[in-house]
Amino acid sequence: MSEYAENLSSALAQRRYERIASIVDAAVKKGRGEIFTLTDMLDQVFLNKHLGIPIFLTVLWTMFQFAFAVSEPFVVIIEKIFEMLGAWSGQAISDPHLASFVSLGIFGGLGSVLVFIPPIFGLFLALSVLEDSGYMARAAFVMDRFMYRLGLHGRSFIPLMIGFGCNVPAIMATRSMDSEKDRMITMLINPLISCSARLPVYVLIAGALFGAAYAGTAIFAVYALGIVLAVATALIFRRTLFRGEPSPFVLELPPYAVPDASSSILHMWSRGRMFLKKAGTIIFGMTIIVWFLSTHPWEETSGGQVIAESYIAWIGHAIEPVFQPFGWDWMAAVALLFGLVAKEVVVGTYGVLLGAEEAGLGEALVSQELFTPLTGFAFMAFVLIYVPCVATIGAIAKETNSWRWPAFALVYQTALAFIVSGVIIAAGRLVGLS
Amino acid sequence: MIRAALIGNPNVGKTEIFNRLTGLSQKVGNFPGVTVEKKAGMLVHRGREIEVVDLPGAYSLTAHAVDELVASDYIVLERPDVIVDIVDGINLERNLYLTLLLLEMDANLVVALNRWDMVAARGMEIDIEKLSELLGCPVVPTVAITGCGLEDLKDSIVDAAGQKRAKGQGAALNYGDDIEQLINKVEDVIKECTALNGRYPERWLAIKMLEGDERVMEQTRAILSSSQLADILSIIEAEEAAIK
Repeated sequence: MSEYAENLSSALAQRRYERIASIVDAAVKKGRGEIFTLTDMLDQVFLNKHLGIPIFLTVLWTMFQFAFAVSEPFVVIIEKIFEMLGAWSGQAISDPHLASFVSLGIFGGLGSVLVFIPPIFGLFLALSVLEDSGYMARAAFVMDRFMYRLGLHGRSFIPLMIGFGCNVPAIMATRSMDSEKDRMITMLINPLISCSARLPVYVLIAGALFGAAYAGTAIFAVYALGIVLAVATALIFRRTLFRGEPSPFVLELPPYAVPDASSSILHMWSRGRMFLKKAGTIIFGMTIIVWFLSTHPWEETSGGQVIAESYIAWIGHAIEPVFQPFGWDWMAAVALLFGLVAKEVVVGTYGVLLGAEEAGLGEALVSQELFTPLTGFAFMAFVLIYVPCVATIGAIAKETNSWRWPAFALVYQTALAFIVSGVIIAAGRLVGLS
Repeated sequence: MIRAALIGNPNVGKTEIFNRLTGLSQKVGNFPGVTVEKKAGMLVHRGREIEVVDLPGAYSLTAHAVDELVASDYIVLERPDVIVDIVDGINLERNLYLTLLLLEMDANLVVALNRWDMVAARGMEIDIEKLSELLGCPVVPTVAITGCGLEDLKDSIVDAAGQKRAKGQGAALNYGDDIEQLINKVEDVIKECTALNGRYPERWLAIKMLEGDERVMEQTRAILSSSQLADILSIIEAEEAAIK
């Protein structure tokens, strides 16, 4: 910008502010001046130097509890419905191809993902309520000091929170950050924040292996692992790729408001809709592919009965050696492979592969002894970290306007996944777990 | 069909108002050429169909931030019938800056004065009629989270769409003789350019050129002849020193 523009635009801006001052002067009576509002009172507590962070952690924990506890009965109901539909369609449809497709592909595969509609919507609802109430901005404020010490910008916090729902809008939300370095770091660590797509995997594995009593703790541990890794990675990036101090943080704190039920539900719906759309398109498409590969060649597998003879088993055995050190079998290998597209597909793949079982998916995992608690937890960690899904890669590419950064994210995360899962397995074996 | 666009500073309750207005009819897409999310929805009021587009939140309309650029491009190029500027009633000073910029763009403006409940709670009194008169556009008090005032807002949108603003009526702001003189001179050169005629509001274009707005410079470079551009630059440079 030339010098004249610099001077002129500030002159123009100044005249505008003068005009505003005269308008406000003429139209507004300030009344009793500043009063101590409810917002001020709440902020005294929520933004308190000592109480702020404990309160925030409590709120976060409550949010997850709410999302999972409230949705639990609905998950069971939906699970039962799909199980019944799967078993029924397997017998009622006479054409064996179609019967296999409907019972395994649709009800087994897609059904196993749709079961997770309640917790995902619950999580979105909790996030919406936090945002609409005005607490989210306070949380960012409270966390800023802590984040600054980690080399992160306070404003990174909101994209990171949104990441618990889905990393794609979270990466888009980094647009509000004006420092390019801060923004890049936030984008690159965002996929480590565990999004709702990974939740089905945790719930399936943890529910099956840790039992009702410890499943919640195991899931919380994976979330915590994601946060710790995100923070550590941010520190490393700040010291290497994006040197410098985070830019100062100015945040407007909106007044608190009682969240309106209909607007929170609408908010939840507009986010949840994306999940439904994804389930109907990408996840459904992938399940069809998995179903096809697991039931063909049709003759050799005797109409999809003998999975060991299918294409998918062949693919699985080919890549199995890579995952063998972790104690995962070929099914885990293909589940991870197809999960590259969207992480829900990991569950969908198991749904197709084990869908023929009488019992639920979780019981099938246990009865076939596919995982021990140790290898299962390492698997959860691997799913958390390894390559962000295709949509996230796309979002990073769009926002950075390059293919270099998404490629970088892909490589560093995959490497990190192998390292972390390896460490978990090694540490576990060291203390005598199997 | 009435084409309306919502705009406002971040955190003024714009999303709530958009949700209240359009309910479940929302469609999500992108603004052309950028990854900024574009939400649009429909509503019917007094028998008129209204399409509402939610523009990105912005404090001003410069070419520096993508969000602001998208908003200003949409207003200038797509020419919606009505622009609804959502203003935070308890932060008038800061919010009105955007309002003034919008008036400058000859936008057919309706101001929604949001957080009206908070205004009362803080013991402030805002003279709506006076404010409306000073800004030269309708002002409607609203409370987004309860939906209060939204029927009036819809009425105002339909009314405003019925009476297209006369050109130049948006000149709510007089920048003072020295700058006004400069704006007029630049405007005169712009008016001579027939290729540019009617494509942009002339006064707005003149002001943008005075500010050296990169985007406007780039867009007009193709249209204005190089001698016209040189004229404008020399006018600005000659007079600039006199303005402080």
